[in-house]
Amino acid sequence: MKKRILLPIVFAAGLAALSGCTTVNSVENADKEGQRNMVADTRAITDASLNRKVNIVGVNTSMTPGGLLKVQVELLNRTRSLQQFLYHFEWFDANGMQVNNVLSASIPDQIEGQEDKFISGIAPNPNCKDFRVKFIEAN
Amino acid sequence: MKKIIFPLIATIPFVIGGCATDAHYVQTGDKEQIVSVGQINIQDYANAANAAVNDLLQSGAIDKVSNPPAVLFVSRIVNSTGQQIETDLLTQKITKALLDSGKAVITTTDPAAKGYQQENQFMNDQQNTRLPDFTLSGKIIETIDRAGDTSRHTYTFQLSLNDTKTGYQVWEGDKEIGKQGTRPAVGF
Repeated sequence: MKKRILLPIVFAAGLAALSGCTTVNSVENADKEGQRNMVADTRAITDASLNRKVNIVGVNTSMTPGGLLKVQVELLNRTRSLQQFLYHFEWFDANGMQVNNVLSASIPDQIEGQEDKFISGIAPNPNCKDFRVKFIEAN
Repeated sequence: MKKIIFPLIATIPFVIGGCATDAHYVQTGDKEQIVSVGQINIQDYANAANAAVNDLLQSGAIDKVSNPPAVLFVSRIVNSTGQQIETDLLTQKITKALLDSGKAVITTTDPAAKGYQQENQFMNDQQNTRLPDFTLSGKIIETIDRAGDTSRHTYTFQLSLNDTKTGYQVWEGDKEIGKQGTRPAVGF
């Protein structure tokens, strides 16, 4: 009697759990033409939960044609479900002073389960030499 | 028993009052941001401006002038949404970012500044005024999709940089911001 009641419930719960998981398959060229200029980074992880969901794989930089520093961050969602987060870039000049940026509001974004994606930011002026990227878990 | 119950009841108003949300300052785009499906929120303007400026600066289109920095005139931003919006909330962030980058100067719309400029030119016998190298124009479009109680509003911010010498568009950017929500069964 108990099995007749429990089995359908367990089956339905399993279906419900699986329907919330959408992961990403991807394909790309194995022999890359482009060379990424990876930078050594320092991480301050205070939200281990977010770090598991939106993991920073690496950071690379380049210069725009106009001489502005461009930063690209590679992210990986280690879970199997969609994760939403906020991020924003902070920029510093050659003296380590933060440069005010009118576009410094946090940007909402999302990453699918098992997805590997890139976010990028461009320095507000040519004096910016360093950067910091902050990630916050969205509600 | 009454000695326990009455003090407990007396503490209820204090507990409820402590749980109430007091007024407090918030930052644009923080975790507490309010997302309204049927209207453009302040963080949407910041998001769209950020995308536009990053794309424009990366393209290098605004660097292609013989005498940098480029002179930019902010032209019409057409509102094709079903709501009244203040387009300056978008354009001001873009122009401020371009000014800070040193890549462009913006022609003023201030009548007093224009008047003084003309007076200076007259007093100094200057005849040549540098005309804008580029104009910035655009459109904000709202599209609505509905399925049952679920509605999705997509706001598309389209911007273009136009070369005043050639008459060509030298840069185009667009940012789509989609919001989806369900209407309650009761009410509006």
